[in-house]
Amino acid sequence: MSQIETQTTTGETEEQIRDEWLEYEFDGETALSVEDLDVFYGNDQALQSIDMDIPEKSVTALIGPSGCGKSTFLRCLNRMNDRIDAARVEGTVEFAGENIYDDDVNLVELRKRIGMVFQSPNPFPKSIRENISYGPRKHGDIDTGLVARLLGRDDRDEEEELVERCLRGAALWDEVHDRLDDNALGLSGGQQQRLCIARALAVGPDVLLMDEPASALDPIATSKIEDLVEDLAEEYTVVIVTHNMQQAARISDQTAVFLTGGELVEYGDTDQIFENPQSQRVEDYITGKFG
Amino acid sequence: MSESYGDERANIVAETSAVDQLAVIPATFGAIAFVVGWAIVFRWISVTDTLAGIEYATLLSIGHLLAAAVLCAVGIFSTTGIVDTEPDDSTGLFTALAFGAIAFIGVGLTASQTLGTGATVWFPTSLVAAVLVAGVVLGVPEDLGVTLPVAAFELVVGLVVLTDVIGPSWVWSPNGFSASFVGPIAIAAFAMVGSLLCVWAGTNASKGFGSRGRELGAYALISTYAVALLAILALLIIFVVQNGLNQVLKGAQLWPFKLPFVLNGYGLQYDVNGIFPAIVGTVWLVVGAVVFAVPLAVGAAVYLTEYADQGRFTRIVETATNGLWSTPSIVYGLFAFAFLLPRIQNDVTLLTGQLVLGFMLLPLVLITSREALQNVPDEYRDASAALGVTQWQTIRSVVLPAAIPGVLTGIILGIGRIAGETAPILLVLVREPFSASTPSVLGSFHFTATAPFITNDALLGPATALPYQLFAVITAGVGASQEFGWGTALVLLCVVMFFYAIGITTRIYFRKKLRQ
Repeated sequence: MSQIETQTTTGETEEQIRDEWLEYEFDGETALSVEDLDVFYGNDQALQSIDMDIPEKSVTALIGPSGCGKSTFLRCLNRMNDRIDAARVEGTVEFAGENIYDDDVNLVELRKRIGMVFQSPNPFPKSIRENISYGPRKHGDIDTGLVARLLGRDDRDEEEELVERCLRGAALWDEVHDRLDDNALGLSGGQQQRLCIARALAVGPDVLLMDEPASALDPIATSKIEDLVEDLAEEYTVVIVTHNMQQAARISDQTAVFLTGGELVEYGDTDQIFENPQSQRVEDYITGKFG
Repeated sequence: MSESYGDERANIVAETSAVDQLAVIPATFGAIAFVVGWAIVFRWISVTDTLAGIEYATLLSIGHLLAAAVLCAVGIFSTTGIVDTEPDDSTGLFTALAFGAIAFIGVGLTASQTLGTGATVWFPTSLVAAVLVAGVVLGVPEDLGVTLPVAAFELVVGLVVLTDVIGPSWVWSPNGFSASFVGPIAIAAFAMVGSLLCVWAGTNASKGFGSRGRELGAYALISTYAVALLAILALLIIFVVQNGLNQVLKGAQLWPFKLPFVLNGYGLQYDVNGIFPAIVGTVWLVVGAVVFAVPLAVGAAVYLTEYADQGRFTRIVETATNGLWSTPSIVYGLFAFAFLLPRIQNDVTLLTGQLVLGFMLLPLVLITSREALQNVPDEYRDASAALGVTQWQTIRSVVLPAAIPGVLTGIILGIGRIAGETAPILLVLVREPFSASTPSVLGSFHFTATAPFITNDALLGPATALPYQLFAVITAGVGASQEFGWGTALVLLCVVMFFYAIGITTRIYFRKKLRQ
């Protein structure tokens, strides 16, 4: 254990990442399979050859100190990094048997199936109902416009049903069912965030990516989001980035620890990561010695 | 122990002492003199009018002297410790420089104009005076530095007016200067400058100088400025209404409704000549310009903000649009005359006027739309993209609706400018400024079996516009009286306000839609 002796208090170390730290055996299907993923912002490498298999219908937590690349990694999973000009992604992410970085991938379909919830609640300045039905409307799944009605297609019942289902799915229905036409910006922060989750559910995703969804919320709203995430994992694959290690320990099935430099250091069962981490650096991070 | 606690309390709780009430006198005089000064400038009262048997000029000068005496007393009370104040050790550089500048102007004018000295004398003299005043103000404690210079100014001004050195009949025609300044204006100017100084010094002193005094002094001064600004705006409108209302209401009656000046044309058949053709012309000009410019400008703003790489290209376009916006309007007029006119009918047409005003509107709407689009939070774009919605759909259903209020602000500002422009349409729009016939744009659309299938004689015919008519009245008095011009000005003001009202109402509607 020579690496323990070279360990410094800041977590800077010569420690080599061992392959067995990243091996994670799980039952069930793989939802996303990441292979040799590198991300560069200009000349800076933000992620260093990440390999990771994410099991479906479970909660995967990504933790690590600021700037470790966990959010970058999350944004790679539905190609949101395409929206940043300077970002360059190498490697493969396999979803439903296809590499999502192939040239012929349909981004619309990809993002319909892999939804995303952001750090700060960002509902549109529209009514609650319009926020939910926004995605399906744009994809043509719901049409209540005048032309559609003249042509004999009226999806208003479908819309009502969808709004209720998604709001119930996001545990928001009871609080807002009598004011669906109010502007979403009038909701509290926690309600807005659950509305954003409901909005993401509305396009029928398989995977939900959440980028620190509770970091801007108070403790009560946070615990609601946490309960919700655990419930969602019965139907959806949830990948959640969090700063809060207790949160990761509470809600996730497996945890991936990223450390400074964009390395994935350890990945495994959440209980094992938090009770018996194999990497010294991960142990230092989890016990609060740095990060 | 309890005693020292009581002392500390005294520092926290503001005391009122005699100096507070005393210092209110110059501040109040300042406020009154400010109003009286404006009233004199706008000739609502004359300096020779009397109030309680005393001329306003005399009243003002007595006020000046009273303020001088009180400020002087406050300064001396404060510095001798008769009243409790917290002045700083120095008055501060900025105040010192301001008083220096006043001294420079005062001494310079006196030396050069009254004593008739040449530049070799008056310039060094006033420079020395300025440096002296600034130095003294800088050197003495704040309570003296604030009160005494203002008191000195008030004393001089009060004496000069009271002794009729500069009285109501005084006239000053500077050498080599075609304009001349008359007594009433000088007295009003003294009142206004003095009032600003008095308000500042009085409020400053009433809080016992120091940081609290400066705070209130600055607040009072800035408030006075704000009131002055509003007053100028209000007085401008009142002035136009006063002069124009008679003409607009000439021959008007409620039932049956008649408003001949607004609803008639200009010709022998009318008992009261009117400006209806010009009103309609202005409205069509604005509508045409908006229809032409807004889609283009918003489209360009969307491209530049949402699609184009932010870099040299967008910066060049930005600089170019800013330049276009500041291009003098007569240049647009010349361009329209030389470029558009030969290509459209080779004659003056309404369409050419609309196009050139549209060109003028383009840059402003582009600049403001771009700003509005940039202010739409990126979170909306991210959220929409994460739902798999394409960029164009995102722009159309999230970004543009959120930007509409900002775009409307640009259109409102732009309309305000183009509706009143004379220069661009000077050469391309008008055949007869006082027209009997009204361009009927909507009624002139004709469909034809051959190309171009739709024709519109009104768009391709001459028109007239309110600002042009006003210009014609002023420059040549072409066929119309001065009252006619004032009436036109009032109606033009109303037309612009009407467009504002439309724009602001729409903006309120869209803002509400985004918020609730």
